[in-house]
Amino acid sequence: MNNAHPGLPEFDYIKPATLAEASQFLVQHENESRPFMGGTDIIVRMRDGFWKDKYLVEVKHLEGMTSIHFDPVKGLTIGAATSMNNVAAHPDIQRYYPLLAEAANSVASYQLRNRATVVGNICNASPAGDTTGASMVLGGVLSVHGAGGLRTEPLTTFFLGPGKTVLKPGDIVTAITFPIPPKGWAGKYIKLGRNALSDLSIVGVTVLGYPDAATKSGYRFHIVLASVAPVPFVAAAAEAVLAEKTISDDVLDAAAAAAMDGCKPIDDVRSSARYRKLMVRNLTRKALDEVWTKIK
Amino acid sequence: MSKIKHMIGKSIEKPDARDKVTGQALYPGDINLPGQAYMKVLFAERPHAIIQDIDISKAVKLPGVIAVLTAKDVPVNEYGLIMNDQPVLCGPGSKKPFAERVRFIGDQVALIIAESESLTEQAKKMINVEYQDLPVISDAREAKNDHGKLVHPDRESNVFCHYQIRKGDLEKGLHEADVIIEGEYITPVQEHAFLQPEAGIAYIDEEDRVTIMVAGQWTHEDQEQIAHSLDLPPDKIRVIYPAIGGAFGGREDMSVQIDLALAAWHLMKMGIHKPVKTIWSREESIIGHHKRHPYFVKTRWGATHEGKITAAEVELVTDGGAYAYTSTKVMGNATLMCTGPYEIPNVKVDSYAVYTNNIPNGAFRGFGGPQGAFVAECQVNKLAEAINMDPVEIRMRNLLREGSLLSVDTPMPKGVTIDKVVHKCAEKAGWKNTDKGWQAPAISKKNTDIIKHGIGFACSYKNVGFSFGAPESCTAKVELHGKDTIEHAILYHSGADVGQGAHTIFIQFMAELLNLPLEKIHLIASDTARTGQSGSASASRITFMAGNSIVGAVNNALKKWINNERPAIAEYEFRPPKTTPFDPQTGKCQPNFSYGYVAQVVDLEVDTQTGKIKLDKVICVDDVGKAVNPLLVRGQIEGATVQAQGYALMENFIQKEGRTYTPTLSTYLIPTILDIPEQINSIILEEADPIGPLGARGMGEMPFLPFTPAVVAAVHAATGIWFDEFPLTPERVISKLHEKG
Repeated sequence: MNNAHPGLPEFDYIKPATLAEASQFLVQHENESRPFMGGTDIIVRMRDGFWKDKYLVEVKHLEGMTSIHFDPVKGLTIGAATSMNNVAAHPDIQRYYPLLAEAANSVASYQLRNRATVVGNICNASPAGDTTGASMVLGGVLSVHGAGGLRTEPLTTFFLGPGKTVLKPGDIVTAITFPIPPKGWAGKYIKLGRNALSDLSIVGVTVLGYPDAATKSGYRFHIVLASVAPVPFVAAAAEAVLAEKTISDDVLDAAAAAAMDGCKPIDDVRSSARYRKLMVRNLTRKALDEVWTKIK
Repeated sequence: MSKIKHMIGKSIEKPDARDKVTGQALYPGDINLPGQAYMKVLFAERPHAIIQDIDISKAVKLPGVIAVLTAKDVPVNEYGLIMNDQPVLCGPGSKKPFAERVRFIGDQVALIIAESESLTEQAKKMINVEYQDLPVISDAREAKNDHGKLVHPDRESNVFCHYQIRKGDLEKGLHEADVIIEGEYITPVQEHAFLQPEAGIAYIDEEDRVTIMVAGQWTHEDQEQIAHSLDLPPDKIRVIYPAIGGAFGGREDMSVQIDLALAAWHLMKMGIHKPVKTIWSREESIIGHHKRHPYFVKTRWGATHEGKITAAEVELVTDGGAYAYTSTKVMGNATLMCTGPYEIPNVKVDSYAVYTNNIPNGAFRGFGGPQGAFVAECQVNKLAEAINMDPVEIRMRNLLREGSLLSVDTPMPKGVTIDKVVHKCAEKAGWKNTDKGWQAPAISKKNTDIIKHGIGFACSYKNVGFSFGAPESCTAKVELHGKDTIEHAILYHSGADVGQGAHTIFIQFMAELLNLPLEKIHLIASDTARTGQSGSASASRITFMAGNSIVGAVNNALKKWINNERPAIAEYEFRPPKTTPFDPQTGKCQPNFSYGYVAQVVDLEVDTQTGKIKLDKVICVDDVGKAVNPLLVRGQIEGATVQAQGYALMENFIQKEGRTYTPTLSTYLIPTILDIPEQINSIILEEADPIGPLGARGMGEMPFLPFTPAVVAAVHAATGIWFDEFPLTPERVISKLHEKG
């Protein structure tokens, strides 16, 4: 009756009994339906008129969608509809994947994290996604149920552009899995926002490092940057510097500079491109320092 | 009979607090009436254009649409708090010259009234407006001198107000100075960001009055402006305020008031008796109401080595935006306060308010004071640095004292306490008063390569009540009921409780003066059909003005009570000492009848890698005369400090070519609970105002004023850099740090 947000259009809420049914419905209603989990982005975008779907297909009730399972050999599986607060609070994640817990805790506000999900954050394909970097450096792989059945999608090749991924109509991500992290690893996520609560990142820097006999330096680092490119940005040049040269303060400086030089951010209301580049350097340097101190 | 006295000075709980916290309180947006229709505004959403034609034919045919109103439907198509320079609805067909022009993105073009809110939205999209765009005037400094491009073609210039002050001999004063500090300052726009966006509901009451339930700051001024536009006598308009979700000056001017009244009145003429309701979205609120004025300032001040300020010259240019709103009054304050709470023998000030195609600027907590204080305090801190004198010491040598002459060449009203406030604040922050004068404490926290610490000092004064000859009064009516003893009392008062707790204060005054328990006081508030003219909840005036009116009304009622009148009913209109406007040549005037005084120390750290500033501690000493409710006073100090923090550090309102890029609270950020200072130490002084009610002064705005210059001084102490423009966003800080190298 009294529509609080007149911009939110009417839509049908579909609650399929099985994944197959859900996929089938999404295929039949291509371009006018979406899988619905936390809804923290969908509802806002529909209200603002960016998305005009007629159907939201509820999938979070389906089996396994909200479970977290850790296996000391196989690694971690997080159901796609698991809330960020549940991810951040899970003892196995805090113990074995603290970087992921840290990243989940940096997203927006506690209230929002009660609904928001890591997989939703990833599928949104925002270059500012706070949990994307941690998911990538930890080797995350998505389990996808599509029209043709189950398959997996590694995050390394998942993102195509802002809001664009390799997912096709009918695809429902059911879980994200992570292998056991490399021995002796440490990680860090640094988020720079305009305020301490709720803002999107001006820049986000995720670093993971570990000893690796296969590199010249004896260490391998993975660096993913948020909000500096159309997709989550892998700072490959910086990673190469750190793999090839014996780690020292100068080499950490050089890697941070390489991260800065490699990214191509834009100007927006949150920041200029120039400031973003500087912050990539300073925060990458800071994160590298913290990780290096722990693994050396 | 037991003594109830001492209700003044007690931190009693606000009677409305529980309802507000539990969601029971009804704000205008929460009120629904049977059979109500909905109204939506079609905003221009372009900064400068002529409307050639408005085609509503499709919209009115949509089933469920009741009416679509345009300029031709407004009886007197103009309004304004100070001058009637704004059309109610822009477009052709009204008698108002140039009303077919839109002058900012929030100008209103049509009102759509329909059976449901979504229908209004649908119909809005069916209105076709033909615009002829005009060049956009967006820089006040350019617009000031450009007489070719005019925002209001019926005027000769975009400058719509100019004041000047000429005291002493500026050149002589500069000549006497050992050092001269020149400065150019820019202050930013700020959005009020009150929690409750504009909303209201209008209907025709049982006495055929067009009645509007809305959130505002001054019921009778709303009533007058609505009456003018509808061409009705004021007593045919009734304005009622339910719970108000914040104001900060942002509800002083009209938003939905005239629209709602026009809609209800129009429906009545159509023979349709339906209440009309509207709620603005946050985006509509941000483009639809005014902002804090940006100021562009050039100044030079001189001082001797002994720390005596000999001269101050200031030029202020302010962007009024598309319409005047309260610009002239705000600029009056800035003109006075830009030379600070100091007695300076030689002063020259010129100030100009200029029309542009930006969102209008108007009242906002501090009302020109923060912009003035920023200039004055930064100049004094720079002078102190230049003569190597402590910032507290230089202030002590120049502060206004009892009998001091203001820049406008008249003495301060009695009860000047800025020296006591500065003394207390300095002491609390660790300053020592030595043989060699005041000395700042050493900074105890260690700097690292990245993190730098600093503390900064600033002080300010702010008028209580309307200034510069504006009519000023406040009325209260009191009824005393009972037989032998007073059993209960009723207060009728229009004074708006915008969230600051005014109504709690009213009840405390009543309880104290009548020696009654709080629950025996009934308040009938903010209804023009029942309560008298109170003036606005602004200018830090409500406690002072309403308090005095209540004291007078209670005294009058008690006289009648003694004469055995039952109930004893009395009214009282309080009028403070008269003020006078600026003399056009010299600026000489009696600007104000009362002031509040405040000093602050800010302790912060700067992250030189990100430019982020973290506030560790704020000390705020505020002389409030008498703290009627100390908890509410602390609430005001903390609230003002946090709002000032947003202004100083974070709130970055981006407007380009008359368009805003920050129309939401996700693009325009205000401080969150995790951003605010670790510690705000609110210290209340109670030096009675000689004419304040039970000694009380106003205090709602004062703590806002010194905050930004105190932050700037602290950042300077930390980094060696003076910032003459803010907000000090990390990006601005980094950019200056890099310039410095």
